[in-house]
Amino acid sequence: MADKVRLGLIQLCGCSGCHISLLDLHEQLLDVLPHLDIVYAPIIADAKEIPECDVFLIEGGVRNEHDEHLVHEIREKSKVVIAWGSCAVYGGIPGLGNLYSSEQLKETVYGTVTTDNIGELPSDEIVPPLTDSVMPVPSIVDVEYVIPGCAPKPALNAAAIVALLEGREPELPKKIVCDECPRTKENVIPEKFKRTFEGKPDPDKCLFEQGYTCAGMGTRAGCGALCPSAGVPCRGCYGKTDEVLDQGSSLANTYAAAGDESLKIADKSALFNRFTLPSALISKKQK
Amino acid sequence: MGKITIEPLTRLEGHGKVTIKLDDSGKPTDVKLHITALRGFEQFVIGRPAEEVPRIVPRICGICQTAHHLASVKAVDAAWGAQIPSAAEKQRELMHIGNMIHSHALHFYYLAAPDFVLGPDADPAIRNVIGVIDAAPEVAKKAIALRRVGQSMVEATGGKAIHPVTAIPGGLSKSLSEEKRDELLAEIDTMIQYGQDGLDLMKSLNEKYLDTINTLGVIDTWYLGLVKDGKHNFYGDTLRFVSPDGSEKIDFKPADYLDYLAEHVVEHNYVKYPYNKKVGYPEGLYRVGPLAMINACDSMPTPLAEEARKEFAETFGRPANQSIAYNQARLIELLSACERAKELLEDPEIVSTDVKAEVEPKAGNGVGVVYAPRGTLFHNYETDDNGIVTKANMIVATTHNVPTMEKAIQQAAEVLFKDN
Repeated sequence: MADKVRLGLIQLCGCSGCHISLLDLHEQLLDVLPHLDIVYAPIIADAKEIPECDVFLIEGGVRNEHDEHLVHEIREKSKVVIAWGSCAVYGGIPGLGNLYSSEQLKETVYGTVTTDNIGELPSDEIVPPLTDSVMPVPSIVDVEYVIPGCAPKPALNAAAIVALLEGREPELPKKIVCDECPRTKENVIPEKFKRTFEGKPDPDKCLFEQGYTCAGMGTRAGCGALCPSAGVPCRGCYGKTDEVLDQGSSLANTYAAAGDESLKIADKSALFNRFTLPSALISKKQK
Repeated sequence: MGKITIEPLTRLEGHGKVTIKLDDSGKPTDVKLHITALRGFEQFVIGRPAEEVPRIVPRICGICQTAHHLASVKAVDAAWGAQIPSAAEKQRELMHIGNMIHSHALHFYYLAAPDFVLGPDADPAIRNVIGVIDAAPEVAKKAIALRRVGQSMVEATGGKAIHPVTAIPGGLSKSLSEEKRDELLAEIDTMIQYGQDGLDLMKSLNEKYLDTINTLGVIDTWYLGLVKDGKHNFYGDTLRFVSPDGSEKIDFKPADYLDYLAEHVVEHNYVKYPYNKKVGYPEGLYRVGPLAMINACDSMPTPLAEEARKEFAETFGRPANQSIAYNQARLIELLSACERAKELLEDPEIVSTDVKAEVEPKAGNGVGVVYAPRGTLFHNYETDDNGIVTKANMIVATTHNVPTMEKAIQQAAEVLFKDN
């Protein structure tokens, strides 16, 4: 890598959270930024054309034809493309839209209780048409690296940037969230499952073993087990580990040990693939 | 006849473009602001257990995620008839205020300030936050510190700085620790000082740009803000419409929003156009956000911010209708948020562990409103007997402003193209 990396940043079907996570380096930004030449970044700077870049961070997946076009353009102009954050890597929360057709999506959004001209829709001639489903960036073009997380922790972003500056490959944590979780485990399978608001969980014991629907055992480490530490179960935002094919299947495998009780859990498809549906083995609603 | 397209619209944190049609004499005849992205949250929260929705909707916006988290949980609380402990209300409010401090510091210093500090004609390659760091490192350091403390408040109360998780129906899944409270208290006076410094910087910029502020993007619209007993309020109690000339005020409660708001689908935009239903479309278009909040309230609830509000009203009038005055209004709110954070941190209940009431899921309909950093935010859900969401409606902060942003761009284009 050159002394100063020519960096591009963009947000497609995402929320800007990954960009904010980069800014959440706070005072460390003053050490990182001098090494970067930010040549394209609609969120913070005014360049209109995508130039040739050394490294391009793409936040967000693809939800419309314009997003898809941009991903191809970025690939052509960049030496290294990174799918940045769980939306880009797996589809993320907007990927829950894949449980519905895009027509259904529009009918609902433009038919809410406050809408006064139900039946009218934005014109596909003027706004970019939606794609049939949300698509992760690696399903559209080859990428050199992925950085999962919703949002990736600032330290993970910094480590990736430093690795690239030093000519190394960025590395991702290999373990699962349970390995980082401070709660104690007794290797028991819960007899019943509870919803997050039910009862008061013991603050020191494993949430899954107390019957809360935690996804930590099927989720890549890296967050520091923030959610279980704050008293709520993991929802799997870092996606699967390298060892498995599909996050949802790997979670279902663990939950199956509880037998019929696990069948009673509400909304399993959007629980076990909360952030990864578009990259799951079955990635969208089948017609 | 010509056409100008500005794309991508930068520093918008989303996706937009502007198209300007010109007639033969070069006069802009038709200005359109297009928001070009749609994700469909109102559809894909349907079928989800309602307590999961406050963990899903923060992804509407990674900058004002806390506002979505809290408006959402308020809507679920309301739908299920949950009464939450007062300590949980205060800790949720602190989470919200932390988000306000981070986002307002971001918006002013990282997004708006490059145009003022470096000047609107500076090379786009340096007209960004890195340019500000080079040109005015002291300003940049204050911006970074304000954001860091704001995000620390969110993490200490919400579990995560981006997309917090602790707000659950009935209260919070954890309480603020005394240790974190003390860390935040140790820095809060400095943040109040930085808030005042930001206003001083803005006022010095006013001397240079006052003509521009009073010329570009000046439009008459309705304003929608959030008040409590008439005072400016971030966390939400009563909504207030103010008429373009300031003579008429309409107060209403979040639960009654359907009587006061409606939205119109337009063909050139994925965003719908909300309007004041009593006035009708398009006359009832309104603005939200800092300018609307300052215009709507009778006063600020904290002393330093109230002084700043009075000065603002003397400079820009009441109601102020200059779009660029949003920046100064935002800084008044930033100062007020820092002052309010201090009040909350000094309240003994802020570390109370009594933060969760028992709740039962049930069929219901609930509305949750807070003031997100870009403006009033509405979440409304209907749930079934098991507390599963069956219907949803969200009117997010920037949506309210899109139609009036379009009007402001039209006005600015007319002024800018007049001499060409």
